[in-house]
Amino acid sequence: MSLKHDIGFTLNGVKKRVTVDVGMTALDMLRDVVGLTGTKYGCGEGECGACTIQVDGLSMNSCLMFAVDCDGRDLVTIEGLAADPRADALREAFVEHGAVQCGFCTPGMVVQAAHLLATHPDADAETIKRGIEGNLCRCTGYKKIVDAIESACCGGK
Amino acid sequence: MTPIEQYLAPATLDEAVGILQQGEVTILAGGTDLMPQSKAGRLAIKRTLMNIRRIPELKGIALDNDAIRIGALTTITEILNDPLVKEYLPVLADACDHFASDQIRNAGTLGGNIGNASPAGDTLVPLIVLDAEVELASKPNGSVTTRRLPLAEFFTGPGRTKRAANELLTAVRIPLPKAGHVARFFKFGTRPALDISAISIGIAGVIDNGVISNARVAFGAVAPTPIRAARTEEALEGRRLDEATIEAVASAARDEVNPIDDVRATAWYRKELIHNMTKRILDHVAQA
Amino acid sequence: MNVAEKTHFIEADTLIGKRIQKKDAPEKAAGKTRYIQDMVLPGQLHAKILRSSRVHARIVSIDTSAAKALPGVHVVLTAADVPDQQPIGVARDHLPLKGERVRSLRDEIAAVAADSEEIAEAALKLIRVEYEDLPIISDPQDALKPGAPLIHPEPHGADGKHLHLKPNAPIAFAGKPDNIAMQFDYTHGDLAQAEAESDVVFEDTFKLHYVTHCCMGVSGIIAEFDASGNLLMYSNTQVPFLHKREFAEYLHMDPSRIRIIQPPIGGGFGSKLDIYPFEVICIFLARAAQRPVKMVFSREEEFLASPTRQPVLLTLRSGCKKDGTLTFRQVHTLHDNGAYTSWGATTPFVMMQTFSSLYRVPACDYHTTAVYTNNPYAGSFRGYGNLQATFAIEQHMDMLAEAIQMDPLEFRLKNAQDAGEVTGQGMKFKSCGFKECLTTAAERSDYQAKHRDNIVHRGDAGPVKRGIGIASMLHVGGGAKIYPSDGCGTILKLDDFANVTLITGASEIGQGSETVLSQLVCEELGLPISAVTVVNNDTAITPWDVGVHASRTTFIAGNSAIGAAKKAKAKILAAAAKKHGCDETALDLRGGFVIKADTGEPVVELARLMRNLHFSDKAELVMTTFYYEPPSVHQDKGFKGDVSAAYAWATQVVEVEVDTDTGIVKMTKVTGAHDVGRVLNRLGIEGQIEGGVVMGQGYALTENLIVDNGVTRNPNFRDYKLVTAPEIPEMDISFIESMDGEGPQGAKGVGEAPSICIAAAAANAIYNATGVRIFALPFTPEAVYRALHGKAEKPQLQAWKVTTT
Repeated sequence: MSLKHDIGFTLNGVKKRVTVDVGMTALDMLRDVVGLTGTKYGCGEGECGACTIQVDGLSMNSCLMFAVDCDGRDLVTIEGLAADPRADALREAFVEHGAVQCGFCTPGMVVQAAHLLATHPDADAETIKRGIEGNLCRCTGYKKIVDAIESACCGGK
Repeated sequence: MTPIEQYLAPATLDEAVGILQQGEVTILAGGTDLMPQSKAGRLAIKRTLMNIRRIPELKGIALDNDAIRIGALTTITEILNDPLVKEYLPVLADACDHFASDQIRNAGTLGGNIGNASPAGDTLVPLIVLDAEVELASKPNGSVTTRRLPLAEFFTGPGRTKRAANELLTAVRIPLPKAGHVARFFKFGTRPALDISAISIGIAGVIDNGVISNARVAFGAVAPTPIRAARTEEALEGRRLDEATIEAVASAARDEVNPIDDVRATAWYRKELIHNMTKRILDHVAQA
Repeated sequence: MNVAEKTHFIEADTLIGKRIQKKDAPEKAAGKTRYIQDMVLPGQLHAKILRSSRVHARIVSIDTSAAKALPGVHVVLTAADVPDQQPIGVARDHLPLKGERVRSLRDEIAAVAADSEEIAEAALKLIRVEYEDLPIISDPQDALKPGAPLIHPEPHGADGKHLHLKPNAPIAFAGKPDNIAMQFDYTHGDLAQAEAESDVVFEDTFKLHYVTHCCMGVSGIIAEFDASGNLLMYSNTQVPFLHKREFAEYLHMDPSRIRIIQPPIGGGFGSKLDIYPFEVICIFLARAAQRPVKMVFSREEEFLASPTRQPVLLTLRSGCKKDGTLTFRQVHTLHDNGAYTSWGATTPFVMMQTFSSLYRVPACDYHTTAVYTNNPYAGSFRGYGNLQATFAIEQHMDMLAEAIQMDPLEFRLKNAQDAGEVTGQGMKFKSCGFKECLTTAAERSDYQAKHRDNIVHRGDAGPVKRGIGIASMLHVGGGAKIYPSDGCGTILKLDDFANVTLITGASEIGQGSETVLSQLVCEELGLPISAVTVVNNDTAITPWDVGVHASRTTFIAGNSAIGAAKKAKAKILAAAAKKHGCDETALDLRGGFVIKADTGEPVVELARLMRNLHFSDKAELVMTTFYYEPPSVHQDKGFKGDVSAAYAWATQVVEVEVDTDTGIVKMTKVTGAHDVGRVLNRLGIEGQIEGGVVMGQGYALTENLIVDNGVTRNPNFRDYKLVTAPEIPEMDISFIESMDGEGPQGAKGVGEAPSICIAAAAANAIYNATGVRIFALPFTPEAVYRALHGKAEKPQLQAWKVTTT
């Protein structure tokens, strides 16, 4: 029915080739074609950040990205971060600081935080708040998330 | 919605404008606007979806004689972090800092923000007061030609511009500001960035011995397109920023705009904000 | 090596009050938790619902033939296909599929199950519905006017005559002769006399707006029938056992053939307390398709078809004497019920408690009328009416104090409740830290000095004005006797490595109940948190529970878990005593050992004892059940009664900066003092309170579901603005530990409390900053700017009962 296209990319360090619908989002590709469900659908409009992934080292909303545009790029999802020892401190900080409640925003938040720490290794609380302004959380009130990221920031040194 | 019949990702500008020449093409850059618009059915993707993200000519920020040229594919994050922009066009960097979220700044492009022609587009108002021009390329007779248009004249309505169907927006050129140039941007919102502005204001000019020349004033989200405000500029041009001038400019601004009521604000409130914030910006400039 | 055996004694330690990490956090932080949205069953179909495109209309015809013919479509259902459908909801006024009339834009007309979501969506577009528009009621005051169009008119036959239905037929079949959905009337004391004794009286109308839960995980369900006709549901419900029974009724099934599994849930906040049409419809589809059917909302659908917080128009009359003694309150509220009745209509249960009992008031007279309109319908939402009531009452407290020239804090302290008080409504405050909440929050925020200074500085140059405001709340904290029982069952199982499986009816909805229940069990059994596995999400396994609501889980399920653990402990110690020839009262459990209670000397490793018992003794020891029913009572017909075993208190002080050029209110600091009984898991309780504060901030300042003539104008996060990280205030939270005698380890419920006072305190802070009092929420920049410039319309409540002609 809809036009298909073959693409190849690196996903969490592993080369992948898949066929996708041309109009499909990278989010749907990850969840429905590849079967990695750690990346969440929250709004489909880039307003909530639950679908955040890293593309070529930059965080992006996978719900705003065309799957075909992943061709030739390097994608890292929460599953990739979960397997990456460099992200251990960050995930542990989320657990330790109580930054997780219902957990639905957490994967996107962790991916965004990892990007934030990579680009702003000395981030203070205000920078961290701005860094996660595109990630909505309904449970925590953000304070513990900011605390967690801040501690990972300093703990990583 | 007509189904997409072909997906193309050209690697050169020449190829891209050649594809555009064949007609019925939707251009994909960062996708941050195209994807949600098409998913919601507000925008139908045409027969050909052309991804221009692999075209090197469309990338980068460089000094080009007396102007700074920003390639259409340059992302908002790249502009925000660029040393040339920081040095010469701080008002543009400021606007980029108030743009959506980190994730969207990382994906969204300057060309996309201009091409979408939203009346509330965050980079448009500062670019207009910086006298920016857009560069459009096409290949009507087998060879690539380009033309330039002042950005202030580029927009014709919400989502509509003077870009012809066979043209590609390749870059924005911003003349290097003269000595004494001052420019300010204000975006109204309760959040630092993740807000569609209910109004935005750009004011620029050259201050020499306290007198303003080359006054530029532009407003966002108060008309179907971002607008340059001629009468407000007139009230500012050649004046000193004393209390009377500032009040006159702010009042001229309020009278000049003709906004609408929508879910974000009423027309009355938008006019009040235009007045109060124009005044605040000029107060700050006067105090600096 | 065993440290304990080396040192020969184990020191006493406690888990209570510690910062305990949430048990499910590592999975969630790694993206490994599978929510309902992530589940894929073999053979699963995808379902979508066609909703009304008209606000109020008669359905003339529905044509699904083109949709049925689309390849990949398995089932298309309309009301005509399920002639036996039963009305759902609190008032049984709501048929899941609408066949004759649509009453709001969320109304479900048809549903499709297909091979993919895309095909299901394409099929919806092929369904043709012909409507005949009916007059719309969008203003609840219009619903009461004489001759107002009826939202649920009595049905008429083809001949135009009334249909004669069975007596007591549900509203969905029998209709309503007026637009009144529910009424509540409560009174205590002599109102006329109390008013006559008053030196100051205020009367104002307050307007409370629509907000919605915005759970980050959108609504979803998977339904599947097995070959024998048993129904298995994967559901996000907060009340699985109640729903199991209700579904059975709606589906004409034996409840024992329905099983509900609750995958981890992406947020609840009260939104999953009722059964919604999409759930019943999904089950219909699964029954027709004989395949698993999954239905998940889009975010837009979540905004359009989820319940809202109850919007309320409220007129409050309050009086006091010159010496600061409160005399009376009289309250009339008009609740916009929306097109159908869900829990929102019942929020007066909570609202009247605030009016009658937050402060000592000799006379209180409370009336609510909930009316049908063509608007979205309201459900339960964290705080359950209390945000609305507190908004009004705490503004009047400030106004009265000002009128008698008394400090607002002193005025509150003079009228605040104490332990031992029995209120006019019959609530008994066994533990009450209210006054300590007031003084603590005021002292830590320097409330009194700032409040005075801000008034002095109102007239200073510069657009930004500072303000500070105070508000307090009372809420149930020990369950709420709403249903015939408020109990919760627990099964506790010990294996031969001394690991515990805690099987509880209490659901985890992200709030951390798994962790706190584990903690309470470990405290009794002297085990580390890691020794506990919690099973809490399958009605076929777990014992009964009323559900997650009314801030009850820690209190009720906690006491139930403690009861089970104590029972297990007694058996363990008895067995150990027998084996080791000592008195069981001399033994205790600590650090994974049976120890001598006086010295801490280990007697035997618990795991060893367990294995020993398994191989040599009867297994009775390792299985124990417990059921906890708190000592609360039902309200009588006049709504009087002590409905909760304990009550929670809190005071919050909000500081703001008001930009008078824009109307932007920046919430800079929240100082809260919460009577939580006792802190169990400090990490968890801080998270609950911080999250609740920010939810309250959204209610006060940013969130506004704009419903315009029945149409929701902003069903997206772009224009429905949740608070984002850069906007949060500094938070200073104190815990008042009143050690409730009935609470688990002294604790009370806290889940709803932190959201309740914020909007009221913000209103008082804005007044403190500017001298302008705003009676309508939310305090968006434009609303505040209008108020500052005298352009805000003061809310009016003309009619709260049917106008008689």
